[in-house]
Amino acid sequence: MPTYSIRRRIPPRMPGNESIHNSCSAFLFVAAIFVAARVASAQIYLPQPPPPASQYGQVILNSHAATGPGPVVFDHWLHRSKFTCRLCHVDIGFAMQANTTGVSASTNAQGFHCGACHNGTTAFDGKPTFASCSNRPETKQCYRCHSAGRKDVRQYDYESYTAKFPKAFYGIDWEAAEKSHMIQLTDFVEGVSMKKAPMKNREDFGVTPRYSWVHPIAFSHQKHTVWNGCELCHPEIFPAAEKGTAHYSMLANIQGQYCGACHLKVAFPLNNCQRCHASAPLWAP
Amino acid sequence: MRKKIFTALALILAFCQAPSQTGVKKKRPLPYEFGQVIINNYSEKNDLVPVVFQHWIHRSMFTCRVCHVDVGFAMKAGATNITALDNERGYYCGACHNGKMVVNGKAVFQACSQNSAASDQSRCQRCHSAALKVDSDFDFFRFSAPLPKARFGNGIDWEQAELLGLIKPADFLEGVSIKRNWLAVQKDFALNPKVEGMPDIIFSHKKHTVWNGCELCHPDIFMGVKRGTTRYTMVDISQGKSCGACHTTVAFPLTDCQRCHSKPV
Amino acid sequence: MSRTRAIAQVLLASGLVFPCFARAIGKPPAPQSETAQESWHKEFDELCSRTQDAMTLSEEQLAGLIRRCDAIAPQIDKLDASRRKVYGGRLRMCRGLYAYVLDSKKNSTTNARK
Repeated sequence: MPTYSIRRRIPPRMPGNESIHNSCSAFLFVAAIFVAARVASAQIYLPQPPPPASQYGQVILNSHAATGPGPVVFDHWLHRSKFTCRLCHVDIGFAMQANTTGVSASTNAQGFHCGACHNGTTAFDGKPTFASCSNRPETKQCYRCHSAGRKDVRQYDYESYTAKFPKAFYGIDWEAAEKSHMIQLTDFVEGVSMKKAPMKNREDFGVTPRYSWVHPIAFSHQKHTVWNGCELCHPEIFPAAEKGTAHYSMLANIQGQYCGACHLKVAFPLNNCQRCHASAPLWAP
Repeated sequence: MRKKIFTALALILAFCQAPSQTGVKKKRPLPYEFGQVIINNYSEKNDLVPVVFQHWIHRSMFTCRVCHVDVGFAMKAGATNITALDNERGYYCGACHNGKMVVNGKAVFQACSQNSAASDQSRCQRCHSAALKVDSDFDFFRFSAPLPKARFGNGIDWEQAELLGLIKPADFLEGVSIKRNWLAVQKDFALNPKVEGMPDIIFSHKKHTVWNGCELCHPDIFMGVKRGTTRYTMVDISQGKSCGACHTTVAFPLTDCQRCHSKPV
Repeated sequence: MSRTRAIAQVLLASGLVFPCFARAIGKPPAPQSETAQESWHKEFDELCSRTQDAMTLSEEQLAGLIRRCDAIAPQIDKLDASRRKVYGGRLRMCRGLYAYVLDSKKNSTTNARK
């Protein structure tokens, strides 16, 4: 049986045949641009593999890189082992995107942002926290934070600090670490946090995926509110909507919206499918 | 021609995939930044730095109504369309900032002057101060230290401060406000949230009318005439509609859930 | 007759009669004086001072206030730019409130009748 290529199926280009050729080439052109745009902006339906666990959650702050002692390297893992997400992101008010909070030496010195705790007096575990952005010679410890490109200036090392923590499929299982009392998270700092009336925790619920081949998600409100309270997620990350009406697509998550606000760079990454899609088979991309 | 249309459509589709900026946790404004309004209708066009208006200074001295009804400021930055001439003639900012009105024993500096000398620069910069370090008569920390604290916003519980007599906002401006009768107290009422499990909202008309009167909210911000017919969604509110006209940028922000959702289920 | 006419002519010339005639013809219009300005301002003050009482007014009273607001609006539109902005905005707010309260009263009466 003779095989026909696509080219053979289309009649040869001749006067009077241009419209079909033009349509086909236009279609291919459109498809090429579409695919190129999607790939170029990395909008594929699989999240990118994360960096080594020791660098996961690292935030480089360099809004004032031109002046001062250089970019700040903030490692989430150290603070995560001591404080809830809510304390820093709600009470102190850090944004969840690098370089958008407006942290500066002057705000730190006034007792905001890092300076809310890093003021030389507030003590955790019996030790006063070093003052950030201090111009006094005896307390100048700039490189403890401004450590980009510098070696042997950080006090805590990831491997030794987290050696005993239970490990997850990727990185540390913070949930298990807290359950086993290996870490105890502070949620309230005097002078920074304010007492508020408790709110009833919302229930855990299942999220039904749009596509039949995707395993359903079990979302635990209870677990999230322990670290985040309500205000961290609502209303900015998850605007209130009637259950079942909002569509939290994987694409949106990968772009940093909704679940991706945390589960892309700080909390367990999106490629740990089974943490949410509990019944999905074990598969690592 | 068809090719051009296809290309255009393809490019539009491609760009539609661009990531949006919704659903991102923004920074929480610092206590002294909360309520800041940048006004730039004409400043930069006249080689002046944009105006930075701080709500917290004025909030302690006047009710919302004095400025937003009697003086006539709009509720959105830039919507009032203030000009230097308006100020000089004694309208808008010039209603008080006229060099004559006395507050706390000091005459309030005059806003805007057509014939200004180099020596006036420090006076201009008291308002035209965006991105400049300007000395103010009011230091936020000294100002807020004795006041009762709140969780968000300016970190000040304005309501409590007024109840304790620590601030006494004036509701009448001589020469500007019209003498009115006392307002018959409006009833407080509950609003039922449609999201189950969220505590009911107790809306206090009484508290709001103390500072706002009636015209500030009705009908511009709240036009529904029949209770129960208008739906106020959190999405709308966070975009600045209804409650969000104030409770996103000036009054306590939406992250303070229990201030409204206060009725136990 | 001729003497009377002569006297009349003399009197006219002397201007003693002219003023009376002038009044009958009509004075030339006075320039935009403060009196005219004050009248709209007075009306404005009177109208917008009732906002606190709006809930206690009857539908007829509210409708009357709205009519009066609409009546002074053109006068405010003729003012200089600053005052037009300020008073135009303030009038809009108090007229809006009266209309709003009237609407809600009408709504509740309709419901009561149902």
